Amino acid sequence: MEHDPFKWGRPDNATYGDYDYRISNAKNTEFPSMHTQQPIVTGTSVIAIKYKNGIVMAADNLGSYGSLARFSNIERLIPVGKDTVVGISGDISDLQYIERALDELEVENDYDGASHPFKANHIHEYLNKLLYQRRSKLNPLWNAVVVAGINSDNEPFLAHNDLLGVQFSSPTLATGFGAHLAIPLLRKVADKEEDVAHVTKEQAREAILQSMKVLFYRDARSSNRFSLVTIDKDTGISFEKDLKVENMSWKYAETIKGYGNLQKF
Amino acid sequence: MFRNNYDSDAVTFSPTGRLFQVEYALEAIKQGSAAVGLTSKNNAVLVALKRNAEDLGSYHKKVIKIDDHLAIVLAGLAPDARVLSNFLRTKAMESKMLFNRPISIQKAANLLADKAQQNTQSYGSRPYGVGLLIIGYDESGSHLFEFQPSGNVLKYKANAIGARSQGAKTFLEKNFESFDDLNDAELIKNGVEALRQTLKDSELSTSNTTIAIVGKDGLKIYEDEDVEPFLEQVTVEEEGGDDDAQDGSGDERMEEDGAAQ
Amino acid sequence: MTSIGTGYDLSNSIFSPDGRNFQVEYAAKAVENAGTSIGIKCEDGIVFATEKLVSSKLLVSGANKRIQTIDRHIGVVSSGLVPDGRHIVNRGRQESKSYKGIFKQPISIPQIASRLGNYVQVYTTANSVRPFGISTIVGGHDSQGYHLYMIEPSGVYWGYQGIAVGKGRQSAKSELEKLKLPGIKVKDAIKEAAKIIYTAHEDFKDKDFELEMSWISEEFTNGRHEFVPEDLLAEAKKYAEEDEDEDDEDDEDDEDEEMAE
Repeated sequence: MEHDPFKWGRPDNATYGDYDYRISNAKNTEFPSMHTQQPIVTGTSVIAIKYKNGIVMAADNLGSYGSLARFSNIERLIPVGKDTVVGISGDISDLQYIERALDELEVENDYDGASHPFKANHIHEYLNKLLYQRRSKLNPLWNAVVVAGINSDNEPFLAHNDLLGVQFSSPTLATGFGAHLAIPLLRKVADKEEDVAHVTKEQAREAILQSMKVLFYRDARSSNRFSLVTIDKDTGISFEKDLKVENMSWKYAETIKGYGNLQKF
Repeated sequence: MFRNNYDSDAVTFSPTGRLFQVEYALEAIKQGSAAVGLTSKNNAVLVALKRNAEDLGSYHKKVIKIDDHLAIVLAGLAPDARVLSNFLRTKAMESKMLFNRPISIQKAANLLADKAQQNTQSYGSRPYGVGLLIIGYDESGSHLFEFQPSGNVLKYKANAIGARSQGAKTFLEKNFESFDDLNDAELIKNGVEALRQTLKDSELSTSNTTIAIVGKDGLKIYEDEDVEPFLEQVTVEEEGGDDDAQDGSGDERMEEDGAAQ
Repeated sequence: MTSIGTGYDLSNSIFSPDGRNFQVEYAAKAVENAGTSIGIKCEDGIVFATEKLVSSKLLVSGANKRIQTIDRHIGVVSSGLVPDGRHIVNRGRQESKSYKGIFKQPISIPQIASRLGNYVQVYTTANSVRPFGISTIVGGHDSQGYHLYMIEPSGVYWGYQGIAVGKGRQSAKSELEKLKLPGIKVKDAIKEAAKIIYTAHEDFKDKDFELEMSWISEEFTNGRHEFVPEDLLAEAKKYAEEDEDEDDEDDEDDEDEEMAE
């Protein structure tokens, strides 16, 4: 028998001649190194809106592999501490990486006693630094991230962050298709920061549900199953999981003109 | 004379489990001039005595600002304190950079403790020869910590380090229970009074006294003529509160105090 | 002591002719002179308690925690050199983080005990470092249930149902044996742990102390390591103090009997 373990599992020298080590030492010389060029398994829109006392945010549970609805149970709303929920769209493996990074952050923050919990603005700052650092290494985390929660002044906080390290804040936020389809609907409820004071939790929730329905109608990478979270500065975080888009209508749109059967070429 | 074989490095335990090199490092703190730290609910204060090596020399800096909410005062080897404060400044900046929030005082203290511990467990490096009082204000309020070269860091209501600090400690032990509700000026006054207990032949002056105070509005460090109001205030209070007839300047009075101790 | 004067006790990692490493034994002396810490494994959880000796009344009571957390599900308490206790916990945190990074799940308690045991052992094998001057109790909850371990300065570690280290370990151990472990509930163990620390404090009668306790329980802390809440701690202290009074009476009786004999 062959007693050198390094020679095990290789073609037998006696039969095939000496192993050509150039094979195992070969390098792919076409590219110096390769980083993420595209997302693989993806999650679609995250949508969120501020109301007087907090924020409502939602994201569906689908993980798409291209156009294939590959996973139907992906949770994309990630709680961080008692005041923050991070909603993530884009690459799901990068989502999981961010999830672990945030979990580690929480554990490490408690090393020096639990008297300095992270607030939503701290988490947003950290994620921005993480995403920007990765894009500067030309190895981005392929996500758009919405940070929703309560900030260090105990006020509702809502901010956006993406794979380029771009950050901004608005009373209504949506990623992906939601930025086109949901934002106009949400802005009907809260257009500017000063409108937020007049928006109730119920109005905000209704606007989110309506937007999730429109997104399911129009976004071919969405599903009708979703999670919704309400972050209230008085009552804290409350999750609603396994929600379904309801009261849909798939009737023939006979009164709609301009496309379909009346389309003139 | 008995020769102690167990005190030549920091990696040798004595038969009773002591580390003499570390204990000697603690002695280095007492070579430094005194510093006092004290806290109320809303403020933390440092009052320190500066030394000058010769009459024509400048006074040695005692208080080092770390961040807008955090400062230290040193007693012992000043260069060691500079190493530690540079380290702490880096960590304070890291917290601002990553999270846009000021570093917590407890964390700052723990970081120093862990850095000092390393020098007590390996050959080739010596323990730090400096003691620190750390004051700061963060979301959980005002804080005071004492740092020792052994890697011990403890949270205090009030404390003093450096030469003849026992006098200040005795004063603080007598009075600290009333500190919680004091305003900033009253707290400083108690600090100055505590520091005065450490004096022997000298007196507090604008050139040898440093005062630092931190609260929700940030850190303020008073040096030179800026400390004058606080020194005057104490003197005036004493004159008013003391039954002994006071004549002449505050300086003379302080000499009496010195002799009384 | 036969060790002194032979020269074999002056450096770590040196064997004496009869095969002993005196520096490790001296490190153990540092533990024997320190406040007592105990760990109890219960049917439904783990309880830690420690006798925190209070060196000054200026210290902030309730601050300066001695029991630490390695990860959410792992608690640690050590007796001996306090800074060494922070060192080993920092290492434990690194190990836990590295394990999580590779296996994407929390490290098990036997794993962390083994890794820390190995780490401590390395500090007995080189003359460039000194051994850890602590005995460390590690306990936690994982997929296999509750576990309790104790690591000695030599790197030796065993699993325990109940363990005590520090100056009062003898009396604490004999009290632990009376509990018939592990047939005890955490809620009862909290009270018994407090009582045991109060009993063990007899060995440090002349010093003030503060009782610090933490626990891990699926039912009460969701499997996390947390400090015992104020109300339970107060209840446990009351139980311990009541019992201490009884014991004092018993002691007096015992003395009478002894004299009669």
